[in-house]
Amino acid sequence: MDARIWALAGVVLVSAATFYLGYVSSRSASTTQDFLVARRTVRSRRNAAAVSGEYLSAASFLGVAGLVLKDGADALWYPVGFTAGYLALMLFVAAPLRRSGAYTLPDFCEARLGSRTLRNLAAAFVVFIGILYVVPQLQAAGLAFTSITTLPNWVGALLVTVIVIVNVFGGGMRAITVVQAFQYWLKLFAIAAPTFIMCVLFIGSGGPRGGEIAGLSEPLPPAFTENTTLHVETPVLLEVQDTVKLVAGGVVDGERVGGSAYWTPLGSPYEVDAGTELTFFQGSAVPVVVGAPPTNDLWLVPGGEPDDLFGTYSLMFALFLGTMGLPHVLVRFYTNPDGRAARRTTLHVLMLLGLFYLFPIMLGALSRLYVPELLVTGRTDAAVLELPMKIASGVWGEILGAITMAGAFAAFLSTSSGLVVSVSGVLSTDVLRGRVRDFRFATALAGGAPLALAIVLRPQDITMSVGMSFALAASTFCPVLMLGVWWRKLTWVGAAAGMVVGGGLVLTSLLLDTVSTFTGDWAPMIFGQPALITVPVAFLTVVLVSKATQNHLPGDVAQIRLRMHAPDGLGFIRDRAVARFGTPEERAGLSDGRHRK
Amino acid sequence: MSPQTRLAHSRRRARGRWRVPKLDPAGAARAAELYRRQRALAIAPLALLFAGILGLPLVFALFPGLDQVRLLGVPVSWLTLAVLPYPALTLLARWQLRRAERAEDTP
Repeated sequence: MDARIWALAGVVLVSAATFYLGYVSSRSASTTQDFLVARRTVRSRRNAAAVSGEYLSAASFLGVAGLVLKDGADALWYPVGFTAGYLALMLFVAAPLRRSGAYTLPDFCEARLGSRTLRNLAAAFVVFIGILYVVPQLQAAGLAFTSITTLPNWVGALLVTVIVIVNVFGGGMRAITVVQAFQYWLKLFAIAAPTFIMCVLFIGSGGPRGGEIAGLSEPLPPAFTENTTLHVETPVLLEVQDTVKLVAGGVVDGERVGGSAYWTPLGSPYEVDAGTELTFFQGSAVPVVVGAPPTNDLWLVPGGEPDDLFGTYSLMFALFLGTMGLPHVLVRFYTNPDGRAARRTTLHVLMLLGLFYLFPIMLGALSRLYVPELLVTGRTDAAVLELPMKIASGVWGEILGAITMAGAFAAFLSTSSGLVVSVSGVLSTDVLRGRVRDFRFATALAGGAPLALAIVLRPQDITMSVGMSFALAASTFCPVLMLGVWWRKLTWVGAAAGMVVGGGLVLTSLLLDTVSTFTGDWAPMIFGQPALITVPVAFLTVVLVSKATQNHLPGDVAQIRLRMHAPDGLGFIRDRAVARFGTPEERAGLSDGRHRK
Repeated sequence: MSPQTRLAHSRRRARGRWRVPKLDPAGAARAAELYRRQRALAIAPLALLFAGILGLPLVFALFPGLDQVRLLGVPVSWLTLAVLPYPALTLLARWQLRRAERAEDTP
């Protein structure tokens, strides 16, 4: 009970700090430019902390450690992909994107290709990707909140939504910039400090089995550290490597069971229904979910089957190129004062992300030793939250648990607020008229709709659905951006065709994959992570259709394209947000086209 | 021109569609040259990145012995995947940032 009070205190502190920072920085926000792009005043370091704060979502804070616990060395590719995307962003997109003078991704499409139709299509995709990304954040918040209180699932989602909406209401991008930058450092502390302390405790105690060397390289399955009773909440398929004695109560393999049982490798896999209670004894081997490496030595070795290698490459591809197409990340680069600051931002982001990802990986490895029971229930995302209380005893474990809980909550808050700002920026300027009150109305929509979905839909594995949004971003916006910046012959018809084809393919494979999980897993692996095929197809479509529709080239294409590559010093950035929403005085400053304050 | 007159003029002028600012011929030539230069500069880091990302799984497949080698108790394969990529990416990005900015600075 004490642990819950500590954790609740952590969550309340994070929420209060978020409210306060949002309130303080909202006071100077009054115009549409404040709400959309923080008046383009964010310096590269502050912006990098904000980008990292926004980017390190529940999938990074909780999901990476959970994946390392489950998949071992293969999961180490996730954080590499999450980080490497920023190098691609720096190489090809960051500076030209800022120099285009646009204020949202759809606005960039219109500025470059001069088509309202393409703009509307891009707006639809921004909203769709935004919602696809924010729903798992809210669901994870709900799950985390349920684990520390007795309140139902939707309360946590509602809490996050309310805090985000209030902050964004007050100051839009201006308010959340400071909040997100603060939350990056908070998350880093909340994962680094417990990791250090737990590593010291781990080395000091010589492993969980008290002195006996608890290696992760033995060809043995992980073992329970104490007698453990587990409630299976979602149906799960388990396999064992050695005979395991346990007490089961509920439904296993479709039959009612009660009392002692032996699970043998021959009888694997065992199908355990929801509501079943399993009790394992100290020292016995942990059954693992089918598909995960069953023994520690396999867990430790990267790669293996060629099927896995293909999946790894496809995932890397999605993460690498998807970062470049995520609307809520890109819109943060519009807040920099110029293209050079935008490029520097990416370098700082790379450093900040690299620093952060060391810690969830270490926690994932530790949790293989201390909380292997999560492998049985499949709730591996809870590893970061449950590990502290297993390693540190008493009040210290509770405090460490509260710190990681606070960090997780900061992750839900910062990612959702970035997504809500990007979606409401697009809704308010493309659907509504773009005044401050339109932005606020759009915020209520952009927060409310995902909340409703998060409550209605069934929670899925957090990282998988985030992987899908990356694949979608990589197959829709990435080709348009890359070719828009670097290829002269791009036409709006080609861009639109590429987005529709790429997006359509990803959504189809998502649908087929979901259907196949309900009808006996007939879909091949590629449907689970289709980026390796859909992205090249999308690129090809854009190129071919553009070549066929050269009569749709925008009239001043040479000027538009060159302006994105002219250095900032020449003063060619002409701010489209000022041109559309600025006061007459501000617009007067733009009128000669060479003046920038 | 009085401030009020200037305001009235600008209001009229700014009402129209957003237009691309025109580059003078010298600026346009410079921008075109920079466009080619930045594109050429980006090839090397991209090639290095792909070599790293595509190469690592290959290295693990070719030298399975790496999993047995340990540094401070941690397998080398884990170190190369969990620690090495981040400083490498940062160095690559810093190098590229320098080159890209130098290209913009030198006329």
